[in-house]
Amino acid sequence: MTQGTGELFDLGYQHYDGPREGRMRARKSVFVDGIKTTFGVGHGSLAKVLPVMLFAAAMAPAVILALVASLANPLSDVLPDHSDYYQVVSIILIIFAALVAPELLCPDRRNGVISLYLVRPLTTTDYVAARWLAFFSITLLLVYSGQAVLLAGLILSASEPLDYIKDNWLDIPRILGAGLLVAVFITTLPLAISAFTDRRAIAAAVVIGLFVISSAAAGILTGCDESQDRDFSEQCEPLTGDSAKWYGLVDIGRVSTNVNDMIFGVEEEGQRSQIMAELPRIVPIGWYVLLTGGLATVLWWRYRKLSA
Amino acid sequence: MTTLLRANSLTKRYGTTVALDSVDFEIQEGITGLLGPNGAGKSTAIKLFLGLLKPTAGSAEVMGEKPYESVEARARLGYMPEHDCLPTAITASEFLTHMAQVSGIPPAYARIRAADILRHVGLEDERYRPIGQCSTGMKQRVKLAQSLAHDPLVVLLDEPTAGLDPGGREDMLRLIRRTGREFGISIVLSSHLMGDVETTCDRIVVLDGGRVTEEGAVSRYTQETETILIDVDSNREDLVTALANRGVKTTLDGASIAVELENQSDYDAIRDALVETNTRLRRMAPRRQQLTDIFRSDPK
Repeated sequence: MTQGTGELFDLGYQHYDGPREGRMRARKSVFVDGIKTTFGVGHGSLAKVLPVMLFAAAMAPAVILALVASLANPLSDVLPDHSDYYQVVSIILIIFAALVAPELLCPDRRNGVISLYLVRPLTTTDYVAARWLAFFSITLLLVYSGQAVLLAGLILSASEPLDYIKDNWLDIPRILGAGLLVAVFITTLPLAISAFTDRRAIAAAVVIGLFVISSAAAGILTGCDESQDRDFSEQCEPLTGDSAKWYGLVDIGRVSTNVNDMIFGVEEEGQRSQIMAELPRIVPIGWYVLLTGGLATVLWWRYRKLSA
Repeated sequence: MTTLLRANSLTKRYGTTVALDSVDFEIQEGITGLLGPNGAGKSTAIKLFLGLLKPTAGSAEVMGEKPYESVEARARLGYMPEHDCLPTAITASEFLTHMAQVSGIPPAYARIRAADILRHVGLEDERYRPIGQCSTGMKQRVKLAQSLAHDPLVVLLDEPTAGLDPGGREDMLRLIRRTGREFGISIVLSSHLMGDVETTCDRIVVLDGGRVTEEGAVSRYTQETETILIDVDSNREDLVTALANRGVKTTLDGASIAVELENQSDYDAIRDALVETNTRLRRMAPRRQQLTDIFRSDPK
């Protein structure tokens, strides 16, 4: 056994003379912290369970669809494909965003940590943009991962995988474009709502409530209850006559998937998208831009007021 | 001495309320107390120097830069707010590492800084404990530590002893003195507690009603006076009479007898009066001015 011969010295306080990376490091740090916070890294094991479970739940439909497609190839024509994927997982995405996104903003205001951020080389815009980007990155990863798994399943289940890619290559830019728009909306809405309360639970309840109420309202006004079976839905009888097509816009849950349907050229019979197809194409796109841009502005404005 | 903070005709109005009314002062290296009653404009001044508020007129400069216009100027400032500002779920070590990074320090260096600072504020053993499980005193230390994590040139402390018991308060003031004197980090201590400022600061700036009413070295306000305070165990009234008989003017100051010295022979008169009345002397010393006198002499 060797005897330690080292000595310990207390050098007292040492000034820092290493690199200082200013505002860019501050932005990066808030972004990375946002990613870690989303998955509960450094927050104890309980904080990790919910986001991981929701992430897994959002991936599950893609895995199941890919497996079913590969095991029962003849059925693949009637199974949901890339154009339907975002609609299929929309409820899980909404729950994920409603429960996890407020964690990125609410605790900082509730604990008062925000006051420490704002006295560092960081503006309110930097802070809120870094938080937005952190949650957007995770949402984008989530929507793209699901589509990637589904694509892999469909390619591998095809009798001629190369022919499948050749015939369906346009799906790839559509997946990327639609996924981007879905992720932007799913990120902006819960963060904008979180800017008005420092209670996570309230923000989550408002987001989920907004989706449920707006979906039910749109169902009544357009006469298309998409929760019912197909036979019922085929009898779409709008309560509001010719203006029904406009009321479909009320459904917050379909703001981004309407644009997705346009990108994929989907107009399903008996579905709300069919009624809305009567609208000029610019309307759902304009509504998406207006609503998302408006929510982003509200988010920015709320935080801008904090520094005053 | 280097001027760190400078207020030039600094004015801040909230609607019709004037929080700071064209004030001019400088804060140099060392420990400076920003003293004044509630509503004097201390917090507004701090927020202006941190760049959280825009001046209505004039300027608040930090090392020649205006932090409201240049956020990079804040990289060498530290701030410890009075209110709660700590997360509860993460450890002090993680929190400080993150805050050092938000001040621009790269991650590897930030971890080393966090460990060093927690050791200096006496939280080495508690660094891996979630902040929510720490005592009030420990949380105040974490608040101070986060303001030092990036090795600032100047730290603004807003009521750092608020909510602490007497022991915790003395520990915090000792730590602040150490930070200013041993670590070489300049400090602006905002407080309405004159005892805190008197025992900790080198200089003071007194604000009242949005104006600077006093400014200078603390020693200037705590000098010895020409008044002698005498504390006795008994015969106080007899002693006062004996002194009056010898032509010495006295007043009662609490439990003490205050003697206004007119000439050196007054000391002989005090000695003789004590002997004559057979009074046991407990304490006799020149009275020192106190910072509270600044406010006592204010006609308001």
